[in-house]
Amino acid sequence: MNKAISTRLTFVVAILSLLIFIILWQVIAQQGLLVKNFPGSFKTIESLIWWVSDPFFDNGPNDLGIGTNLLISLRRVLIGYSLAVLVAVPLGVLMGMSKLAQSSLNPYVQLLKPVSPLAWLPVGLFVFRNSEITGIFVIFITSIWPTLINTAFGVASINPDYLRVSKSLGASKSTTIRRVILPAIMPNILAGMRISMGTAWLVIVAAEMLLGTGIGYFIWNEWNNLSLENIFVAIIIIGFTGFILDQFFGFLQDKFDYSI
Amino acid sequence: MNKKSSKTSSSNENYSHLELLNLGKIFFKEKKFIDFRSKGNRSGFEAIKDINLKIEKNTFVSIIGPSGCGKSTLLNLIAGLQAPTSGKIVIDGQAIKGPGPDRGVIFQNYALMPWLTTIQNIEFALNTVFPAKTKADVKERARKYLRMVGLEKASNKFPKELSGGMKQRVAIARALSINPNMLLMDEPFGALDALTRSYLQDELLSIWRKNKVTVVLITHSIEEALLLSDKIVLMSSGPSAIISEEISVDLERPRDREKIEQDPKYLKIKMRLEKHLLRETRAVEEVT
Ligand SMILES: Nc1ncnc2c1ncn2[C@@H]1O[C@H](COP(=O)(O)OP(=O)(O)O)[C@@H](O)[C@H]1O
Ligand SMILES: [Mg+2]
Repeated sequence: MNKAISTRLTFVVAILSLLIFIILWQVIAQQGLLVKNFPGSFKTIESLIWWVSDPFFDNGPNDLGIGTNLLISLRRVLIGYSLAVLVAVPLGVLMGMSKLAQSSLNPYVQLLKPVSPLAWLPVGLFVFRNSEITGIFVIFITSIWPTLINTAFGVASINPDYLRVSKSLGASKSTTIRRVILPAIMPNILAGMRISMGTAWLVIVAAEMLLGTGIGYFIWNEWNNLSLENIFVAIIIIGFTGFILDQFFGFLQDKFDYSI
Repeated sequence: MNKKSSKTSSSNENYSHLELLNLGKIFFKEKKFIDFRSKGNRSGFEAIKDINLKIEKNTFVSIIGPSGCGKSTLLNLIAGLQAPTSGKIVIDGQAIKGPGPDRGVIFQNYALMPWLTTIQNIEFALNTVFPAKTKADVKERARKYLRMVGLEKASNKFPKELSGGMKQRVAIARALSINPNMLLMDEPFGALDALTRSYLQDELLSIWRKNKVTVVLITHSIEEALLLSDKIVLMSSGPSAIISEEISVDLERPRDREKIEQDPKYLKIKMRLEKHLLRETRAVEEVT
């Protein structure tokens, strides 16, 4: 099929499916087919427009604009995530290169990886006595494992030819790491970073329900207000932001895909 | 270190350019972090043993042998990529301790870094070997060697955009750019089609003539060895492979690949090589 026609068709189908979804949602809500007082799509869209048209107001911690809350969450995620990447990549390289580092660190990684990062929240609160730092700390713990594991795996499975070339030229260890190993494992690092970011974005919403402020707290707050349509607004915004973040990493991965 | 002196003074040397003395390599099983069972004596796989070989400066030597006999192992030892278990490797009178820029290595799978362009691959080698050179110097030199293998136009292409033959030409340019005395090649043309292969063989010969390098070429092609070499080294089947024969190829150069096949001398050596390879390959097949 012609490519231009096929993309246009995909677009039309997507729009149609969205329209059908909105109408079905409205009908089901209006007829009370699910539960009574379930907000319909029209009401939700109305709220969405209201929140988006003035996103950055600030009337105290329990009444922030949705944009302000979103930025608070993004800030926590970006700080915790960046710190995690800064730790995970060097540690992963170390684990991939050294048997000793691998055998001494791997048990901790395997043991801690399956634990929900939210379990660390009370620990953070106890140690830091500060909800902001605790949020960042939880995101740090969340983000570290996928990037660490992918980096270590990348180093361990690097094409030995590259290392032999480097060695045959008499390259130092630091040159080999900077000029050969790091670029070679870029696809692995980015794959890990993409998963880390996805998980961090999942976890921040849950963590913030307990922390105050942020998009997660917004949801908790609107639950206390029994305003389900505002929760739907938050869900749409969270989903959209997560999608943009994921697409950004997808774009980076394409840039660093050496095989195509 | 003593590269300059060795290149200029060659009259009063009583040693060959490259000498392998009682060289042996045993691969030991990787030691486990904690290993209760095997205490002390580790058993290993002896790939090659008692290899003695002398190679003169600027000669072209091919090593031929059944697959799995230890040719790559031998080349890796000469390159300094692996350490021998016994014996030593002496270059210009000095035992080598590891890899060095006096030896350029070319691998079968080209081993180009896919994140670097053609010219950057060569610049990587130059920057590593000559850290003091300026950026402009490095670029100029990299260009020169790309020109030498006829790939100047592809300098900003990535390896994935090149054919197998082009990739191997880049690898050759990279190996030569650091101005080695010796070119070590491990079945460099094995993965190429016949036409590209012939083309690169001719290219290699002209480079060898112009650049004054010693070439050690591993190949499994008798025709290739005969067309290119001054000396052909035959290895026995492994394990514990040895050098079973050295054959001088005193055919006139330049050698024409069509005419040479009529030469009775050529045919005689070829028969000898075929017989040897058949015998050693049979030994491999009957053991396994
Ligand atoms: N790193 C290694 N560890 C254990 N055995 C090896 C290793 N490298 C090569 N060998 C063994 O040594 C023998 C010679 O291998 P190689 O030198 O690659 O042969 P060739 O290049 O002649 O085909 C083979 O039996 C191979 O399995
Ligand atoms: Mg081999």
